[in-house]
Amino acid sequence: MRPLDEKETTVVLEKLLKFTDNNLQNIVYNPSHEGPDPNPGRYCFRLHKNKVYYVSESLVKRATNVARANLVSLGTCIGKFTHHGNFHLTVQALTILAPNAKHKVWLKPTSEMSFLYGNHVLKGGLGRITDAIAPGKGVVVFSMSDVPLGFGIAAKSAQDCRKLDPNGIVVLHQADIGEYLRKEEEL
Amino acid sequence: MVKKQKQKIILPPDLPPDINEDEIEVSDEDLQFVNENREYAGFVSRLDTKSITKHVTRVADVKEDALEALYEKRLKKKLLQREQEEDSKLQVDHVEALPIKTLDGQLKYRTVTKPSTASESGVTGERETGGDDEDDTAGKSIVKLTKAEKRAKLKKSRKEAKKQGKELDESEAEQTPQAVVLAEVKEDLTAEEAFENKKRKLAELGIALLADPESNIKSLKEFLQLCKDNDHAIVKLGLLSLLAVFKDIIPGYRIRLPTEKEQEMKVSKDVKKMRFYESTLLSSYKAYLQRLTALEKQLSFQQVAIRCICTLLDAVPHFNFRESLLGVVVRNIGSPDDVIRRLCCSTIKSLFKNEGKHGGEATVEAVRLIAHYVKDHNCQWHPDSIEVFLSLSFDEDISRPEKADEKNKGKNKKNKKRKSVEEPSQLQDNRRKRSKQELTEKMREEVNADYKAVAFTPNVAEQRRKQSETLSAVFETYFRILKHALQSIAARPEVDASLSAGGSGSHPLLAPCLKGLGKFSHLIDIDFMGNLIDHLKRLASGGSISENNSGKCLTSLTVSERLQCCIVAFKVMRTNLDALNVDLQQFFVQLYNLILEYRPGRDQGEVLTEALKVMLCDDRQHDMQKAAAFVKRLATFSLCFGSAESMAALVTLKHLLQKNIKCRNLLENDAGGGSVSGSIAKYHPYEKDSNLSGALASVLWELNLLSKHYHPAISLLASNISSMSVANNQVYLSNISPIQAFTDMSLERETFDPPSGINKSNNKRKRGIGSSISASVETSGETSSIDEDELRKKLSAHFMLLRDIKENKKLRSELEHVTSSLQQHKEYKQQKRKTTQRPKSKKKLV
Repeated sequence: MRPLDEKETTVVLEKLLKFTDNNLQNIVYNPSHEGPDPNPGRYCFRLHKNKVYYVSESLVKRATNVARANLVSLGTCIGKFTHHGNFHLTVQALTILAPNAKHKVWLKPTSEMSFLYGNHVLKGGLGRITDAIAPGKGVVVFSMSDVPLGFGIAAKSAQDCRKLDPNGIVVLHQADIGEYLRKEEEL
Repeated sequence: MVKKQKQKIILPPDLPPDINEDEIEVSDEDLQFVNENREYAGFVSRLDTKSITKHVTRVADVKEDALEALYEKRLKKKLLQREQEEDSKLQVDHVEALPIKTLDGQLKYRTVTKPSTASESGVTGERETGGDDEDDTAGKSIVKLTKAEKRAKLKKSRKEAKKQGKELDESEAEQTPQAVVLAEVKEDLTAEEAFENKKRKLAELGIALLADPESNIKSLKEFLQLCKDNDHAIVKLGLLSLLAVFKDIIPGYRIRLPTEKEQEMKVSKDVKKMRFYESTLLSSYKAYLQRLTALEKQLSFQQVAIRCICTLLDAVPHFNFRESLLGVVVRNIGSPDDVIRRLCCSTIKSLFKNEGKHGGEATVEAVRLIAHYVKDHNCQWHPDSIEVFLSLSFDEDISRPEKADEKNKGKNKKNKKRKSVEEPSQLQDNRRKRSKQELTEKMREEVNADYKAVAFTPNVAEQRRKQSETLSAVFETYFRILKHALQSIAARPEVDASLSAGGSGSHPLLAPCLKGLGKFSHLIDIDFMGNLIDHLKRLASGGSISENNSGKCLTSLTVSERLQCCIVAFKVMRTNLDALNVDLQQFFVQLYNLILEYRPGRDQGEVLTEALKVMLCDDRQHDMQKAAAFVKRLATFSLCFGSAESMAALVTLKHLLQKNIKCRNLLENDAGGGSVSGSIAKYHPYEKDSNLSGALASVLWELNLLSKHYHPAISLLASNISSMSVANNQVYLSNISPIQAFTDMSLERETFDPPSGINKSNNKRKRGIGSSISASVETSGETSSIDEDELRKKLSAHFMLLRDIKENKKLRSELEHVTSSLQQHKEYKQQKRKTTQRPKSKKKLV
């Protein structure tokens, strides 16, 4: 377990920035209430076995007691580095992305299941969408009752969506909460 | 008679038939008459041949076609003149005076007074030309003709005269010999009498024109002459009476002057008469308009001229020269003068409303002109000028005409294909049928074309085209204004605060522009919409950004304007979203912040309540965080402001709570947090973003305070809301919109004034009954208004007292004065001898 180096930090933060815009500071400067310490610490990013974790500082201190080889996981895993050095977000990042998301898409109840099986979001399944979405931005997908379902990358801007036919892809699938079942062993 | 003579005036002397002198017959009667009145023939010798030839050539120059013929004529004429001169030399001796043969063939004997009586109609100026004319005829009569020949000639000449009627009128107008006469009259009469005379003359002319416009059409010229008077009052009167005349006699169609070809064609008498009438009317109308536009630039005449122009445009928008009228009206639509501006605006509005009068063409022109002027003035014009757009009306389906056409086309194509598929099989059988069909189709087309030409109902496609043109011009203007406002905002932070003190003055057109956008939002093309929303977003946020940056600087846009931006954005979105439900996050954030910036005195409460209604009540669903944030903020807001605002806010709040069941956690007594409030565990009241405020973690303690509100309606509503439980999902019947609530309360503020004691008892009773809000609204009161009333009463009492004291003082001083004078009087009485006058004066004083 080690803190991210500069290069890795920029890669991770850029990824998060896609989803959160200026709300990124809420993630970085989020005070933690874990542990018995009187003054709340911050959350920080830690790299462990190619995976990036979002951990409170108090937890990091305690984790130092465990040998690196024996440490399986700590805090929230938000993604992992590939062999090429790319960073991929995983489903667990949804917990920190959802409250800070700038761009949101709400799905109709009928198309929720389709998304949870790993399909893209089609225009026909769109219940609601925030304006000012540009293609390439990160979008968090919600159900109509505001339950976060996953996230992805916008394929079309909100304006273009109007003219799109119902089968056009609006959001490209990246992760959804169905993965907790489908890819249980990988996570 | 008079008229006929007038017509003759311009006749070029006709070619005399080549007749030898010997063949000329002179009747015995003539000879006798001439012998009797020798002195009358004197004028023959004094004939001004030069002026005659001049006259002839001038007329001849007009017609180029007949130029050659005219040259020939002139040559012959010269010959003739020589003959005449010889004649006169010879004949004057024995033939002294000649009678005039009038058109009916009667002989008229000339007397000395004749020329003046001939011009009885008041066109005294015609005397000279009339004289000429008579000379001409006289000259002609020297060469005596048989009656038949003469008549034929006269007819011919009359035709020519009519053709050149218009030409003539102008030349007549130029001569204005009348002015000379008028000047003479002036010398004789005092100014007042002249004024009266002129007025009378105006009235006479006007009445004559109205009574029989066709025969009196020529007196329009006189009218115009009168309008050039030096006296301002006369000019004004003349303009106004001419306006009345024109309004009455202008026909319901546009006059098209006949082309040269048409002029050459032979037409019946009536048509000629009509043509003459129309051309005269048109030319004088033109002159009138020119005069008006000239006077419009003079300050003293401006109002009258504008009034005339506006009335004309309103009454006869279909008639010729509409463009110039429109030009003047639109130019003055943003004039700083209130009266003029209002006139012009109302005219344009009525122009927009009564499109049937002019078939929509004037609308397009007017809108284009306004757009042009807005561009020229760099968007610094009077807001009224844009507000007129609001009275425009468009067809509902104007936005999608092309789609329908395309569909039709597609169908047609399909049909054709089908036909072409079917045809080969039954080719031979169908050939005959087809030829028949083609024939009938042709016929039908022709009939349709004719019908269209004749029909009064406007062509649908044409109208649609016009409307879309109008619409594009309107939106062009709107977008220009928006862009301008944005640019000025961008430049604003650098500008000194003193410049921005003008407040809304810097964007005078923005408010009506936003209003218009809201009204026509359903007509905006989707392609524009992204741009528009973007602009609105920046406008809505622009003010706050600049405020943050410069601190001291006033917001460049007022809160109302920014709220209006939000409202417009929502309206645009709502009317255009058929398939897609777009969440305008940015605008919610703006509203969230603007609620705090609202100040009851400065900003319009109506706009705020409208924003609340449009954005919060009408929207179908919100996410929980946002709804909770708004609920919390509205509750806070309703604590701070007057009853009207807080009522509106509470109504909205209730609405939100009804829709979002989860938000009712706010009503629970323990501060939430944990899983309910999401990741944000604490309420941040100063957070700018509604989603991050963590309002779910807070408690709506404001409601408890509000239930003790002095206003019974509010306290009732507050307690009503707080009794809403998480479990049951009942729907409340009395659901009034925030706007309605606001207006109810703000109206009440003005009217209500019961004493507080009674008010309280009322409240108790009402609560006991548990009636609806509206019922309690009727009887409830307001301490602020009561305070005011009390204050007023106290003040009035105070002033009454003061006045009483003053009156007392006055009375007392009078009393003293009287008593002193009485004493003096007594003293004087004692000294009776000396004075008798003084006591009297004293008595008077007493």
